[in-house]
Amino acid sequence: MSVGLTEALERDSALNLDQAAVGCNFQVTSLKGPACRQLREIGFCEEMRVRKIADGRTLLCAVCGTRLALSRTLAKQVRVTPV
Amino acid sequence: MSESGEHTLLPKVALVGHPNVGKTTLFNALTGENRRVGNYPGVTVERSSATLRTPHGHELELLDLPGAYSLSPNSPDETVTRDVLLGDLPDEPAPDLVICVVDAASLERHLYFVLQVIDTGIPVVIALNQVDRAEDKGLRINRQVLADELEVPVIACQGTTGRGIIQLKQTLRFPFPPPTPRHWKGPGAVEKAIEKLRKKLAEAGIERAQAHAIHLLADTGYRVEAQSHLTPEAQVAAREMASECIAKDHPPEDEITEARFLCIRRTISASVIEKGSEAESLSDKIDRYALHPFWGWVIFGAVMFAAFWSIFRFAGIPMDLIEKGFGAMASGVSSLLPEGDLRDLISKGVIEGVGSVVIFLPQIVLLFLFIGLLEGSGYMARAAFLMDKVMSRAGLTGKSFLPLLSGFACAIPGVMAARTINSPKERLLTILILPWMSCSARLPVYFLLIPLLVVGSLAQTMVMFLMYALGTGTALLAAWILGKRIERSEPTPQFLLELPPYRLPDFGYVLRHVLGRALSFLKKAGTVILGIVIILWALSSYPKAPEGEDQLAHSVMGRIGQAIEPVVEPLGWDGRMGGAMLTSFAAREVFNGSMAVTFAVDEDAEEDDDAVRDKIRERISTAKKEDGSPRYPPLTILSLLIFYIYALQCLPTTIVVKNETRSWRWALGQLAGMSAFAYVAALAVYQGGKLMGF
Repeated sequence: MSVGLTEALERDSALNLDQAAVGCNFQVTSLKGPACRQLREIGFCEEMRVRKIADGRTLLCAVCGTRLALSRTLAKQVRVTPV
Repeated sequence: MSESGEHTLLPKVALVGHPNVGKTTLFNALTGENRRVGNYPGVTVERSSATLRTPHGHELELLDLPGAYSLSPNSPDETVTRDVLLGDLPDEPAPDLVICVVDAASLERHLYFVLQVIDTGIPVVIALNQVDRAEDKGLRINRQVLADELEVPVIACQGTTGRGIIQLKQTLRFPFPPPTPRHWKGPGAVEKAIEKLRKKLAEAGIERAQAHAIHLLADTGYRVEAQSHLTPEAQVAAREMASECIAKDHPPEDEITEARFLCIRRTISASVIEKGSEAESLSDKIDRYALHPFWGWVIFGAVMFAAFWSIFRFAGIPMDLIEKGFGAMASGVSSLLPEGDLRDLISKGVIEGVGSVVIFLPQIVLLFLFIGLLEGSGYMARAAFLMDKVMSRAGLTGKSFLPLLSGFACAIPGVMAARTINSPKERLLTILILPWMSCSARLPVYFLLIPLLVVGSLAQTMVMFLMYALGTGTALLAAWILGKRIERSEPTPQFLLELPPYRLPDFGYVLRHVLGRALSFLKKAGTVILGIVIILWALSSYPKAPEGEDQLAHSVMGRIGQAIEPVVEPLGWDGRMGGAMLTSFAAREVFNGSMAVTFAVDEDAEEDDDAVRDKIRERISTAKKEDGSPRYPPLTILSLLIFYIYALQCLPTTIVVKNETRSWRWALGQLAGMSAFAYVAALAVYQGGKLMGF
């Protein structure tokens, strides 16, 4: 499979963390929004693996061995792909 | 706590790291101190220090700094850490060495901060905490490779067990290692900008030019916020350099962040081996219920109710002992001293007044024990998670709940803990409503009055629970109303919180902490409250009434009561209660002492051995008006309780609010607003109750 096709498939499967399914593992692909610096510093940086544990108004995620709670608005700023 | 500058001659070592990584536990283990710790982020919000002696006999000053995720601060407590490390605080030179405390179980997340600290040009030692937990999670860290990659010593340690403390102290030997060079390299344009800016800053005489140059380019906020350590020209130069980089399509913030993350990935791939995927931990299993949309609330309610119930249920035995002790003291004084003012002062003033407050020591101890266990277990962060939805209705987030919960112990640390909130508006709202969280100083008043309303520990617990719920509910309502009136052009605050793993609390620390709070309560009773009750006794005993006249009515206190009576009468109170309420503006607990002293002075009968609290309650419940009706019916007691939920009778809180908001307007406005609200609420309850026929 060519590199271009792989990238296109990854781009197509990318979604925001708030849309991601509970119990699945993802990888952060990019961050976009006013809080991206803060999100990166707390652990949601590019290439980091994330597992979504709970959904709702406030999301619960496992990042690098730590549980992080974040609001839905912040989760919208994290773009992930399933792994 | 040492003030800044106290140990200026000693070499300075700073402990830094993410919030709740175990800095203060390590600080206590290194120095033998007993500073406040807890298993949730944001316990340490200000700089504190103590002296440390190395195995080689050298003395050092060890600084404990607030936790920070990065040196680009998001809240006031993180700003303190950045300013200390960059040497930006007046009279506070940058430390000579930094111990970066890192959680081994989430090393990758912590390395960004470590790289930022290395970039300050201060020698760094990494304290790798919780290695066992990392191994349980399937991570194996090669410490030697990590040390070689980062070119800094790496010491495995565990503050709670003392593991690695000796090795850590040994790395603090003189001379300290030289600063580690920066590990990342940005694109040419950014590197050129750093070098040009460094030269400009050095020419302008700014210390630590390289560290400031990197930070000025890496953090937009640092380029624009007022910095006493930097000249406006330096910031203008930094803005020009940043603009040049942006023009070349290399925004310095993004490029520096990216370069640091590249370095982190390289370091992690070299030093960490994952031995399989992470299994579900015990914390995860507990959280399935503790954070469940339904069961989470059931557990939260049960935990809170059990705490209040145990306070009522288990305090009885030690309270009886304390009462017997004070009763025996009063009898002893009565039999030893001849009748006269000295005997009255000691038995009716000092013993009754102070006894009526000290009697509630067991409840205070139980409250602090409960809060200590909650703080140490990790449940506080879960409570904040659950409360986020409720808090959002009031324009706050779950993050505000942590300072508010601290306010149940004392408003002052609660107000200071609001520094962890990054939104200035949310922080201000939290500070403004926080005194409505019923603090421990209100407990003696509640415990004196609640048994006058209902009988039985279950019913009394229910009333107590309602009082706390009423204070908290009104506070959130006030935040909602105030939030609409305080105009700030900032986005809606967003909740972002790390949930620590559950841990068994460090019982030794919790007991030491509770003992400290109990001693502080007794000290207050033996100094401030003792002083006030002596003054109250004198005001209630002089001038002496002629034979046959009522002593209290004739005394200064009685006259003060008469003067205030028209103001408090609509609340259902008499002058005695009004006077006691006035004196409790010095300290809330004085209400009990004031009631005890004025009743004792007023009583002609000989001193008996009745228990202090029963005696006050009996006097309150049997007091009659001239027409024979009860002087203090339940409605009056309820109105008094309502007043105490809402009144801000704590001068130190007002001063701390002024310091935290940097405004007398907010502090005095809060004092006036809460006092007025307390009066109106008590008035509404009493008059409303009367209209309804109670």
